[in-house]
Amino acid sequence: MKVTRRKFMQISGASAAGLAVSGLGFDLSPVRSHAQMLKTKHAKETTTICCYCAVGCGAIVQTDMKGDGRVINIEGDPDHVINRGSLCSKGAALFQLGENENRLLEPMYRAPKAKKWKQVSWDWALTQIAKRVKKTRDATFARKNDKGQVVNRTTGIVSVGSAALDNEECWIYQALMRALGLVYIEHQARI
Amino acid sequence: MPGKSFFIDTSLCMACRGCQVACKQWNGLPAEKTVNRGTYQNPADLSFKTYKLVRFEEVVVDGKLKWLFFPDQCRHCIDAPCEMAADDPRAIYQDRATGAVIYTGNTKKLDTEDVIDSCPYNIPRAAKDGSLAKCNMCIGRVKNGLSPACVKTCPTGAMNFGSRQEMLEMAKKRLGKVKKTHRKAKLLNPDDVRVIYLVTEDPDLYHKFAVASNSAFDISRAVALKRLIRPLTRLTASM
Repeated sequence: MKVTRRKFMQISGASAAGLAVSGLGFDLSPVRSHAQMLKTKHAKETTTICCYCAVGCGAIVQTDMKGDGRVINIEGDPDHVINRGSLCSKGAALFQLGENENRLLEPMYRAPKAKKWKQVSWDWALTQIAKRVKKTRDATFARKNDKGQVVNRTTGIVSVGSAALDNEECWIYQALMRALGLVYIEHQARI
Repeated sequence: MPGKSFFIDTSLCMACRGCQVACKQWNGLPAEKTVNRGTYQNPADLSFKTYKLVRFEEVVVDGKLKWLFFPDQCRHCIDAPCEMAADDPRAIYQDRATGAVIYTGNTKKLDTEDVIDSCPYNIPRAAKDGSLAKCNMCIGRVKNGLSPACVKTCPTGAMNFGSRQEMLEMAKKRLGKVKKTHRKAKLLNPDDVRVIYLVTEDPDLYHKFAVASNSAFDISRAVALKRLIRPLTRLTASM
């Protein structure tokens, strides 16, 4: 007999029905009963906004109440008016922003023409950034354009970023950039 | 028919792959190394660490290009051939309340090839140690009143989950509506599985194993035999 899969399912359906009528069959309840404890059962819940695009979906971050307070799970916030619990593939991956073995925990520096990155202190890195921004900004700052109009701008620095900032953080960030005189300010969500 | 079911409406799927990622995240599955193969379908196939995969197909139907999306996963068959093939409830069993087909670590003691071959939808995947894995219906979530991670995250309403009755009604209602604009629309094996797909084109165009009746191969003799004598073994075990 050549049994196709389709046929097979029909046959097995019939025999299962017969078995149900007979009332026989051994009880597997100990194996089958699922007393699963949800990993998020004792988690603290904090709402947040997805950092990735301009839609602004709401998410719930579940963190460990005991122990180290790390993130256990992040999923869509059903009460949020924008997404009502749903998240796209990027939003669904929010968990990895914090819990990720590839995440850098210290600033890294690669000197011009150097082949390797080296770990540096936050103090050193922030001072260097401030120093170089100030230098470039002062060197390229234009008070007036070719027509003599007041512009107070620099075209020597461009800002692209940052994908991991939320709406409010982005506002503060762009305010700082504009205060420096930047006009080229972009964000991945718009590119 | 008690228990739970999914209704996956591919006519609403936009292939954002939110379900694929939410599944990985909830189940704590690692990423896979992917390469550019000229398609957004990545990774290329289901695996021991990928239970859910959105399949992308570009096909020309009646001179028109169609981009078909198929969020593939275990169908949680009402009468599961893999469970029959395994014939060991410590390795593969059906959860009574939901109807979810669950694999345990004991699957490594099974004849892996036999179980994989028994699946009409080509779903189970083996790890190096021989244990098998696939979608578990997020059984922990479902038992605690939540919907599976893939359903929870779906932004378009393509993924749905609920009581079997509710899902069948939703599927039939939706089919009636979609048929008005897509005359080839149909439900895939709605009476045999707990994951009911609605497709708008010939199912073979989406995926070779989208529908069971279209699979080109036969079940192994061993599985057929096991299936036939099963009521007997159950009887003896209960005595």
